Amino acid sequence: MDGFQSAIPAYEGDLHVVAAAHHIVKALGTTKNLSDDLRKILIDLDAHLSTITSNIDNKGVRGFFDVEERLKQAEKKIVSWESDQKMIWDSGPREASEYLEAVDEIQTLIDGLRGLSVNENRKQKELLHRAASVLQMAMSRLEEELIHMLVQHRQHFEPKHMSFRSTRRDVIYDESFVSVEDEPAEETSSRNCSSCSNDSDEFIVDLVHTQVIPDIKSIAKVMFTSDYGNEFCEAFIGVRKEALDQYFAILEMRKLSIEDVLKMEWTSMSREMNKWTWSMKIIFRVYLASENRLCDQVLGNVGSIHSFCFLEISKETILSLLNFGEAIALGPHQPEKLLRLLDMYETLTDLLLDIDTLFSEESCSFVRIEFHELLGRLGDSAIAAFKAFGLAISSSGSSHPFPGGGVHPLNKYVMNYIRMFPEYCSTLNLLLKDQHADFPNPVLELDYGQNMSLSTSCPMACHLRSITSSLESNLHKKSKLYKDEALRHIFLTNNIHYLVQKVKGSELRLFFGDEWIRKHNAKFQQHAMNYERATWSSVVSLLKDDNPGSSSMSKSTFKERCKGFSIAFEEVYKSQTSWCIPDPQLREDLRISTSLKVVHAYRTFLGRNTTHIDDKCVKHTVEDVEKLLLDLFEGSPRSSRNSRRW
Amino acid sequence: MPATEYQGSFLGRISIRRNQVIAMDGNHEQELEDLELFQRHVSDRFADLLSPPDDVPADALLSISWLRRLLDVFLCCEAEFKAILLMGRDPSQISKPPLDRLIPELLDRAVKSLDLCNAVTSGLESVRHCQKLAEIAVSALDQNPIGDGQARRAKKALVSLISVMNHDDNEGANTKSTERSWSFGRRGGNKDRTPEHLRSLSWQVAKNWSAAKQIQSMTNNLVAPRGAEATGLASPVYIMSVIMVFVMWALAAAIPCQERTGLATHFPVPKQLNWAHSMIGLQEKIGDEWKKKEKKGMAGLLEETQKMEKLGQSLIEFTDSFQFPGETEKVKEAAAQVAELAETCRRMEEGLVPLQMQIREVFHRIVRSRTEFLDVLEQGGKSSAPLV
Repeated sequence: MDGFQSAIPAYEGDLHVVAAAHHIVKALGTTKNLSDDLRKILIDLDAHLSTITSNIDNKGVRGFFDVEERLKQAEKKIVSWESDQKMIWDSGPREASEYLEAVDEIQTLIDGLRGLSVNENRKQKELLHRAASVLQMAMSRLEEELIHMLVQHRQHFEPKHMSFRSTRRDVIYDESFVSVEDEPAEETSSRNCSSCSNDSDEFIVDLVHTQVIPDIKSIAKVMFTSDYGNEFCEAFIGVRKEALDQYFAILEMRKLSIEDVLKMEWTSMSREMNKWTWSMKIIFRVYLASENRLCDQVLGNVGSIHSFCFLEISKETILSLLNFGEAIALGPHQPEKLLRLLDMYETLTDLLLDIDTLFSEESCSFVRIEFHELLGRLGDSAIAAFKAFGLAISSSGSSHPFPGGGVHPLNKYVMNYIRMFPEYCSTLNLLLKDQHADFPNPVLELDYGQNMSLSTSCPMACHLRSITSSLESNLHKKSKLYKDEALRHIFLTNNIHYLVQKVKGSELRLFFGDEWIRKHNAKFQQHAMNYERATWSSVVSLLKDDNPGSSSMSKSTFKERCKGFSIAFEEVYKSQTSWCIPDPQLREDLRISTSLKVVHAYRTFLGRNTTHIDDKCVKHTVEDVEKLLLDLFEGSPRSSRNSRRW
Repeated sequence: MPATEYQGSFLGRISIRRNQVIAMDGNHEQELEDLELFQRHVSDRFADLLSPPDDVPADALLSISWLRRLLDVFLCCEAEFKAILLMGRDPSQISKPPLDRLIPELLDRAVKSLDLCNAVTSGLESVRHCQKLAEIAVSALDQNPIGDGQARRAKKALVSLISVMNHDDNEGANTKSTERSWSFGRRGGNKDRTPEHLRSLSWQVAKNWSAAKQIQSMTNNLVAPRGAEATGLASPVYIMSVIMVFVMWALAAAIPCQERTGLATHFPVPKQLNWAHSMIGLQEKIGDEWKKKEKKGMAGLLEETQKMEKLGQSLIEFTDSFQFPGETEKVKEAAAQVAELAETCRRMEEGLVPLQMQIREVFHRIVRSRTEFLDVLEQGGKSSAPLV
């Protein structure tokens, strides 16, 4: 290399001086009034200078001779690989570095030749042309090597192994609201409530094996210095974009048209929404963060090229994710979508900072803007779904009484659904802040006017109570469908008890508060008492002594009362064994209190009239009654004749 | 943007009038006047698009700047349309027949056009890719003298360019593209290897989605209102639908798009409607153009793309036969083509990203309007059918 630098400038310097002298001589020669002698001297000088020029020129050609030799060497190296089947970088580090040296050499020669101000030299032009040809050959080759390297050394990482998957909320309440009336809802196990993962951890992985990064960088460097930067970018973007496409497919993300999304059934939609939530995290936090680092590693020092490439690689995938979000935000906001929408909203909220950082360049501003706007629309959609949820609860109607008076599916659905809300507390508070909670029952609000802790007064708590209060009024509406007053009370006992249990047994209690729980405990107990009164008062009244003063009643009255009691009791038995109190504790409590009342009255009644007792008129012993009462509320109709306890 | 300016004043006028209208409890004549004005504006705007000013060659039919004007027209018409239908109007008015049927149909078309916007945005990415390849060719050939190396470099880029352009509409939808192997097993002595890697065109829209079918289905139920309806609010709904279909159709014709077989099939717009004359003119022009090119398989009618294709092909021929230093005549001719290609690249560089942004704006506008209409329909539904 040094030879080149020393040979050329010396030659060039000489040429300049001679040319200047020649010029002066020629100028002098044109002067009129010169003596013949002088004119002759000038002519000689002119001839002499011409000889010098041609001598120097020859020397220059000799200077080019060295250049040509070096070009030949480098050319040989590059051309030899053209017929080789192997990839250079696969053949070993020595081959690769020799090849790069050869390319460097050509680049240096080209720079040197171009740097010459004398452009008229034929040899110079010829060499330059030849060098450029070899350079093109090398660049084309390097592009192939680059693609090969990027493809061969791609690293695969399994999305399932990413650590934040385990902390994902994984119990999904997927049931559609519509199905509530049709079939009793299954109790769902509670959502994984383990504390949310620290999502801010960085999960950067190597998308391309670290060992080849220096090689890729060296190719980038040489292609950019040779002014083949565009070719490098095209190849790099092409391969990386395809890799992202494949990754998108690995995540099982389908490309869906907006029309498809709008027409989608709830179960598939819910699945897609979950996938989106999950993919957004993994794509932005892991994949694109890693891609960004790769671009930075490879192109970091080449101006803003790195962010250009990064955007080109990620754009289509980003648009896909964006459009799914848009499609969801467009759709009708059915109540069952609420939790999924909140998931999407929360995920995007979490990711906005990452998005802003990854796409901080001015040219990427649209990515940031689009996602910020999408967040707003998802928030609006969540609010709409929340309202739809409330509306669906209050308007959910049925024409038939729920058999057995058990816990209504609507109640189960709603309570299991809202049990998830505390996990979304901060988001819901944010979204519901400006939404007025309409209390169908203003009294409730008054009750909560004082002594409210922070958690019971937050927007979500108000909305929760609003939801349960419309649920309660709906249940009251449903209870009116029962003709039997006692069953109506069983229904309300069951359902309000269920409501309270759900609140007490979950984080909901923090939002409803002790006062609410006390009130509602009292409510269902009141209904239980009302049940007892409605069912048993008339039965027990048969056993009452009309004439407490006398020692015993007449035998015929006794017989009549006995018979009346048996008939009434059997009637109750027959119907109320088919009634249902699903909660064992509640069932037990109600049986005990019934037992206390009825058995006690019966025992007293029989005890007072021992003289009249004979098998014919006393159909049931005290023990029989006690046992039979245990069959009530089991939800399986019996008559006293086929009772297992009979 | 003059269109936007007078749109503003138009909206102002409508709102003022609407207030008066309400005060007068529904003045039918005012409404007729509004409708007439709307039709005239539609007619004028499309007339401008049909005969672009001769002195601005960049504004040629289906050029980038023409498409941007078309989208401007769409946005203006859409704003006016919404003003006529919604501004100051009692929701119950648009939730009764025939609007209770026509508006949901319009909204259905709106959703369909969102997918088209996405398809076209994705197509513009491939146009941008072409631009990048053309820029490589320009930088290789834009020197004097051209060397063999640079000629080969240009050829390589141009061959890629042409194959990206001739990429079949359907291929992108094919999942195979993601499995394509980048194999370099057979490295022959071929100096001008054709590019084995073409940046894959992965479509934005679903697998079996078809732009042509989408537009076809947008024209379902698209019938001009007759009789009494023709003078009522059914008329602007029809006009807006036709504009929407036309704009989406023109975009799909100009920009690479998933599956466009049979795109040339016209959707019928009755010739006797004054406002539609220019639009029909445009439709015929674009349709003819499409039929001419359809068989060859092509990137789209976008003026810049077509120019690029023509120049690209001719420059491939040039580089094919080129041997340093080349024939003076041919080199001169090529230099002119390179200059033209450079100019086309420059126009793309200036216009493509803004065009993409504008399509996104159209997308968002359609979304917003749809929401507004749904809200009004819901309100109207409530008031006309009181809850039992």
